[in-house]
Amino acid sequence: MAANAATNPSQLLPLGNRRRSRELVDKCIGSRIHIVMKSDKEIVGTLLGFDDFVNMVLEDVTEFEITPEGRRITKLDQILLNGNNITMLVPGGEGPEV
Amino acid sequence: MASGGGGGGSKMADKEKKKKESILDLSKYIDKTIRVKFQGGREASGVLKGFDPLLNLVLDGTIEYMRDPDDQYKLTEDTRQLGLVVCRGTSVVLICPQDGMEAIPNPFIQQQDG
Repeated sequence: MAANAATNPSQLLPLGNRRRSRELVDKCIGSRIHIVMKSDKEIVGTLLGFDDFVNMVLEDVTEFEITPEGRRITKLDQILLNGNNITMLVPGGEGPEV
Repeated sequence: MASGGGGGGSKMADKEKKKKESILDLSKYIDKTIRVKFQGGREASGVLKGFDPLLNLVLDGTIEYMRDPDDQYKLTEDTRQLGLVVCRGTSVVLICPQDGMEAIPNPFIQQQDG
């Protein structure tokens, strides 16, 4: 968390509510997170880390395609998820399992 | 022309003060329910708990509405509870208070009685 604060250019702001977004994702490192993309794709995995662009490194990943209504691929090891298409992050989320 | 020169002097001083001034002050929406629309057609609403200058948002009790081809704009279909989420600012296209809007019948449809 200290490393993120050092690289964050908006250091003129007080630390009140304005830092909540980054902190929330930071606290999620090591636990399950559910990522919702701009398209109908969702990813559930264990968060290992992320960078300033919110590219994410995830482990034990399951990928869901929402429209065909089915689970797609279960990938183990680690993936680097490109943050370009991420819309929402749900800490502790389990995904769209019905 | 003369007033432009005078205005230029004060602008230089302002630039040094305001480096990261947002055009929208989200602090007035804290702890209020807001509606957010994203690139790609997703919509969500929730209580704003936090934000940053990049427009990343923290929403609590989030409900997501999804648009399907047959769905058009029916909000009650295909909603799901997401709870506490972080919304990526790079994906946000619209933010408005949930109280400040309501669904109305389509005003653009013209009833043509033949």
